[in-house]
Amino acid sequence: MVTFVQQFLNGLTIGSFYAFIALGYSLVYAIMKLINFAHGDLFALGSYVAYSFLVWASAALTAALGLWGALAVAMVVAGVSVAIAGLLMERVAYRPIYPAGRLPAVVSALGVSIFIENFIMLVWGPRYQAYRSEFVPVGYFQIGELRISILQVVILISAVILLGFLYWLIEKTTFGAAVRATAQDRATAALMGIDFRKVIRFVFTVGPALGAIAGVMVGLYYRQISFSMGWIYGLKAFVATILGGIGNIPGAMVGGILLGLLEAMFAGYVSAAWKDVIVFAVLMLILIFRPTGLLGEKVAEKV
Amino acid sequence: MAVFGLLAMAEEPILIGFQGPLTGPWAVEGDWALKSVQIVVDLINQRGGVLGRPLKLVVEDDSGTPRGGVMAAQRLVTAGVKFVVGTYGSSICMPSSDIYEEAGVLVISYGCTAVNLTARGLKYYFRTSGRDDSQARFFAEYVVPLFGAKRIAIMHDNTTYAKGVAEETLKYLKPAIDAGDVEIVYYDAIVPGERDYTPALTALRDADPDIWYYTGYYPEWALLLRQGKDMGLDWKVVRAVGSNACPISETVRIAGVDAVVGAMITQEPLPAFIKDKYPKAKEFVEAYEAKYGEIHDSPWATYAADAVYTIAFAIEKVGKVDPKAVADLLHSGQVIGEGITGELAFTPEGDRIGVPYSLLICNEKGETELFNPEIHGKLVGLEE
Amino acid sequence: MRGIIAGLRNDPRARRIAVGIALALVVAYPFFASAYWVDVAFYLGLYTLLGLSLNVILGEVGLFNLGHAAFWAFGAYTTAILNTRFDIPILALIPISALATAGFAWLVTSPIIHLRGDYLCIVTIALGEIVRLALNNDPGGITGGPNGIFGIDRPRIGGLVINTPTEFYFLVWIIVVLCAWALLRLQNSRIGRAWNYIREDELAAECMGVDVRAFKLLAFTLGAALAGVAGNLYAAKMMVVSPESFTFMESCLVFMIVLLGGMGSVPGTLLGALVVSLFPELFRPLASYRMLIFGIALVAVMYFKPAGMWPRRRATFRSVIGREAGKA
Repeated sequence: MVTFVQQFLNGLTIGSFYAFIALGYSLVYAIMKLINFAHGDLFALGSYVAYSFLVWASAALTAALGLWGALAVAMVVAGVSVAIAGLLMERVAYRPIYPAGRLPAVVSALGVSIFIENFIMLVWGPRYQAYRSEFVPVGYFQIGELRISILQVVILISAVILLGFLYWLIEKTTFGAAVRATAQDRATAALMGIDFRKVIRFVFTVGPALGAIAGVMVGLYYRQISFSMGWIYGLKAFVATILGGIGNIPGAMVGGILLGLLEAMFAGYVSAAWKDVIVFAVLMLILIFRPTGLLGEKVAEKV
Repeated sequence: MAVFGLLAMAEEPILIGFQGPLTGPWAVEGDWALKSVQIVVDLINQRGGVLGRPLKLVVEDDSGTPRGGVMAAQRLVTAGVKFVVGTYGSSICMPSSDIYEEAGVLVISYGCTAVNLTARGLKYYFRTSGRDDSQARFFAEYVVPLFGAKRIAIMHDNTTYAKGVAEETLKYLKPAIDAGDVEIVYYDAIVPGERDYTPALTALRDADPDIWYYTGYYPEWALLLRQGKDMGLDWKVVRAVGSNACPISETVRIAGVDAVVGAMITQEPLPAFIKDKYPKAKEFVEAYEAKYGEIHDSPWATYAADAVYTIAFAIEKVGKVDPKAVADLLHSGQVIGEGITGELAFTPEGDRIGVPYSLLICNEKGETELFNPEIHGKLVGLEE
Repeated sequence: MRGIIAGLRNDPRARRIAVGIALALVVAYPFFASAYWVDVAFYLGLYTLLGLSLNVILGEVGLFNLGHAAFWAFGAYTTAILNTRFDIPILALIPISALATAGFAWLVTSPIIHLRGDYLCIVTIALGEIVRLALNNDPGGITGGPNGIFGIDRPRIGGLVINTPTEFYFLVWIIVVLCAWALLRLQNSRIGRAWNYIREDELAAECMGVDVRAFKLLAFTLGAALAGVAGNLYAAKMMVVSPESFTFMESCLVFMIVLLGGMGSVPGTLLGALVVSLFPELFRPLASYRMLIFGIALVAVMYFKPAGMWPRRRATFRSVIGREAGKA
């Protein structure tokens, strides 16, 4: 029973990472029908930016604000830098190419992805880096045989807060309605007076910023980061997006958490080596029988 | 003009190819190996080179993958290189050596310990490093009895190397297993390149071993130690022993000192520990530290350096720059010379003769030391 | 450039001369290039073959396939396993690998062939990953796990062993030229037209009586078969096959080849393969920066030539009328 709860918590944690990244994918896709392959690399970039920032400033900040304060600042720094990168990316690589069609935009996204990945490798080196012990919070709660690290608790609570906030923003506010309207029918939304540029800016700052925060958390949780970790997380997050239904923003969150849980459960109870195969197979099955994803796509198809 | 031409010809360098993982998960080993090789090349050139000609390095990165290895090997072959020092990782050595054999290029590997590499009847493949069976034997016949361990856990990662060591360990433990003295309580593989090993570690913990031998590479070992520590595993109770592919310095850098304290590795000799034993070792350590700072703790990089010495000495002995003649000399079993790690001599199959092993431990400061029960006993639960 | 392409399109004699010159260059190349560059040209040929195989699926029919490396892997491993275990010669394994991969493709794509656009995309990505991971896990002990299968033979024709760069070069380019010729003929056939119809407007095609499902499956099967051949050649050249040669990135590269060249365009695919395989080589001196520049180049090409560098253009009424008018 203890193992089950432990794996469940592990699954929720991994799922939170996926949910953060999946949200960014889903937002961009909903608005532009573009699969932003570079998104995973932005997540990796956030992790590295925070790492460098912590190496540079951790001692001073910890003295001033305490370890958690220092981490919060690092997350803000990473989030802002990556948001800027996201905006730049949209301006330079997507906006000029998007009118030409979706497939060229996909190639462009792949080009950006290669660029960012190699940029990270050039700046930080090909060796794996590791978040140093000084900036990783230690400590845990012991409940019987169950061991939950404080870091895990903080990650889960932050996930609930941030995702909850975004859900509220998108489902319950006027601006959120604008985003949803643009996703549903861009032309009509524009006719209704919605500023498309504003929505784009929102999507390309919030999405990457969330990815960056996930990157910092992954760095703290696993310690080891590499320039190539972007694409595997990006791929799984994309799977999560589809699982929840493309273009469905709450769906992306659900998809992410569910994917994390599936992974942890399969790894714990079936086989660690085959867990990814099983997850992808489950995905294929879901798509065969319910092609619009679990929560369904909100866009109807015109004939 | 003519004199100038003659001088230029005498100076024509001998090309020495270097193949190693300069990018990818083992980039640090490739980097250390390249630096070590460079030091030896410089030392030899300072003394007038080989047969009066300077040595020149041609470097190719194989990124630590079989495909990278084949492509790097092909590039070296088409570049006209006749002698290669390469590479690290048995699964990369395997296909690379096929390419070299086909082209008649002599290759000496420095980081490939799978037993079957020298069982293929290749004429141009040699290695300055040891083999998995020696390491496994050391673990089974020295380390296990040292701790009086009865419940043994063995974990690998399905690569040629790790699986090889694991299987050899089982082989050497068999007499003890049959006699009922020890029991294998865990024998499984993790997937390298992953992040989350908590499921495997949970299973390991549930198996309740006295000693845990991880036969894979350091990136995973670091994660395993870190996550194991966070899960509450104690290396005083479950002795953590890594393989010779787990340099403690790198492991500490990735996992943090607190996770690695008390963990041990079965290892071939490190330059720092042999520098008083062989003059070339002392010279090497001093030259390395002068150029690059602190000496590394990898036997593989040291073996790479010795591979250069082997080639250099052999060419001098044979008197010409001919891979076949050199190969024949090496196969004869004579002692070619004394390098950093001692006498350089090879079996007819291409294995290195005489490779010792030791048990190393990570102390409270994250440094690597030779295991001494009196000093380090309390780190591993060996009370007096 | 545009003038040349237009000229070639409109004048069959010019086209024949151009093709003749191109073939002559291909034959002569190894005799004035160094071994290293002949080797590079082999990989160019291999990627062209892969590009052509994906072109059938993505270019002609417009099926969004990002898991093509799975078919490539299947062909390579079929060759590797059958050669190392049963000593079947490599060249004999070309048709066997092609058929086996085609069969595999038929089996796995049948249940998903009805999916549209991005959903098909994600399923093909999943397929690619499943194949790679399964190969990595060594089921039944036949795939060799992460180290793969080594010790694969070289191809033999009678007494000749194909192992030098030049010999491999000719082997791959003979196959590429044959395939290109066959695919060009296919483009002008009923099948080719049906494929393009499905790409342009699937619903209309169905309404007009085109058996959409059958044609889609045919495209996947044929594309997979060609990828299987590419796998066979790859296995014979590398002498080792391992899962990390067949990653999602490889699928992306082949995808890029088709799009950079122009969807449904055979000469375009060659150009695309040129960019993708030559680029890292030409910029090798720049070492680490070359991939950075490659990324930028991709964005740039898509900006300037979103339809591809040599897009496909079908004969239209205007050109027919123009010719008729010219005669009168």
